[in-house]
Amino acid sequence: MIALRPLAHRLATLLLACGAAVPAWAAEPEGDHGSGHVHPATSLLFFASAEAHRFKPGTPTRDVNEDVPLAADIVLTVSRDRFRVFGEFLLSREEHDLERFQLGYEAAPDTMVWFGRFHQPASAWNLEHHHGRYVQTAVTRPATELWEDEHGILPQHLTGLLIESARTLDDEAGLRYSLGAGLGVAVGSDGLEPVDLLDLHHRGHRLSWTGRLAYVPQAVEPTQFGLIAARHTMPVIDARVAAALGADRLTQDMLGAFVDWRHEAWRVAATVYGLRTTFDGGASVRRERLLVGYLQLERQLPHGLTAFAREEDSHRARDSAYVATVSPNFETRRLSAGLRWDWLRRQALTVEHGNGVTSRGRQSDVRLLWSAVFP
Amino acid sequence: MTLAARLRRLVRPLLVLLLAQAAPAHADERLVLVVAANSPITALSSKELHKLYLGLTVTVGERRVRPLRNDADALMHEVFFQSIVSMSEPVYDRRMLAQALQQGVLPPLLSSTRAVFDHLALDPDAVSFAWATDAEKDSRVRVIRLLWRR
Repeated sequence: MIALRPLAHRLATLLLACGAAVPAWAAEPEGDHGSGHVHPATSLLFFASAEAHRFKPGTPTRDVNEDVPLAADIVLTVSRDRFRVFGEFLLSREEHDLERFQLGYEAAPDTMVWFGRFHQPASAWNLEHHHGRYVQTAVTRPATELWEDEHGILPQHLTGLLIESARTLDDEAGLRYSLGAGLGVAVGSDGLEPVDLLDLHHRGHRLSWTGRLAYVPQAVEPTQFGLIAARHTMPVIDARVAAALGADRLTQDMLGAFVDWRHEAWRVAATVYGLRTTFDGGASVRRERLLVGYLQLERQLPHGLTAFAREEDSHRARDSAYVATVSPNFETRRLSAGLRWDWLRRQALTVEHGNGVTSRGRQSDVRLLWSAVFP
Repeated sequence: MTLAARLRRLVRPLLVLLLAQAAPAHADERLVLVVAANSPITALSSKELHKLYLGLTVTVGERRVRPLRNDADALMHEVFFQSIVSMSEPVYDRRMLAQALQQGVLPPLLSSTRAVFDHLALDPDAVSFAWATDAEKDSRVRVIRLLWRR
């Protein structure tokens, strides 16, 4: 049995209790000060996944991807009038984390102001799929988009303020933008370390800001493309890592572009990130630049099948001291392909084969994933 | 006559009989857009309805329209995907789940027309859909327009 830390246990219980209690609260007519509207305003979703895999050579699994055998992701949203509470709790043998916890206020129609721990909006992939593996077509996420505890190279969780807004340009098109600012990550012996809401310790986290601007040609279609940018100031909190990097503080500037184009049965999702990392060692300052990106092609087929293939590539990542330190097994190139079968309502089976190149050599993997959402 | 032909001849009338039994009471009915009798909403275009059930914001005057999804029977379920959101159920489902993961609020799903009417009666900004025969019997709701007919 998984031994949850007391606070984690309490928060998980709280999330579940909220999920059970909120429907009654949300359906109650409002008092004299309300608008008189009654609207169910809660949703509780359980994302579950189970994965079997084989690696060549026998790479340590947690270095490769989010490939725990069993995982559950609990997502709760409570909304009343202009206020919203959102929580996401991930539970697996490897971890039990409150991934997101946000309190929101709708300042204007289509403009939400959030406070809490959130997924930074400058990650094209994670902003779409978050931890819900059922929602993504492929088994794996691109190496560039791995979470911090999977040795990802981009900070993904910020704790602070997030503003999300949408604007209609004409009858069809629109703009969506997000801006996030808050405490980012520190660089430790195990890679990037975001603020942990269940284990609050001051680790010198500094301010990060991120932004995303997306153009949506047709409001009712999911096609969108846009720009993303971020600046992360990351203290190096481990003496050995600081010595290896020759710096006690890193500043990462990121500028990127993404496209998610869908037409009938076809989908193309591509992202490119340009990273500039500044190593600040007090007396000396040096910089390195690298480019990472991926392109995923999907095609829906009859009988609930979807075929997909993804190419990931990078430039200068192999020579990067930053990448070598925070993600020693980073795949500088990877080609993967697979097939997803939506065999039951809200349940899918996906098989994926991938060939990757790291600074240590070549590796390959075959994965079979069952993913589902309940209810 | 081959065995397969004989089987077809035997099975076909049974299938027709089963389908006739399975057809809902509203098989020859019309699906209509409904609001509360006192609602200020007087019209919604197909495009606005499409946006509404995709979780996008639609306003009438200064007021935000709130969608309720009626899932009272199999035919209504099918018509919702074919005629209102114009996409397959798995595609719609994944899109809405992605939205839920992005802190969005999904249109509430109700499994009976009575529950839908109960909610509509209490919320003048809500819209939903129902069989015309049911809507015409309940004075708490008002029909805005026809959405689908067999």
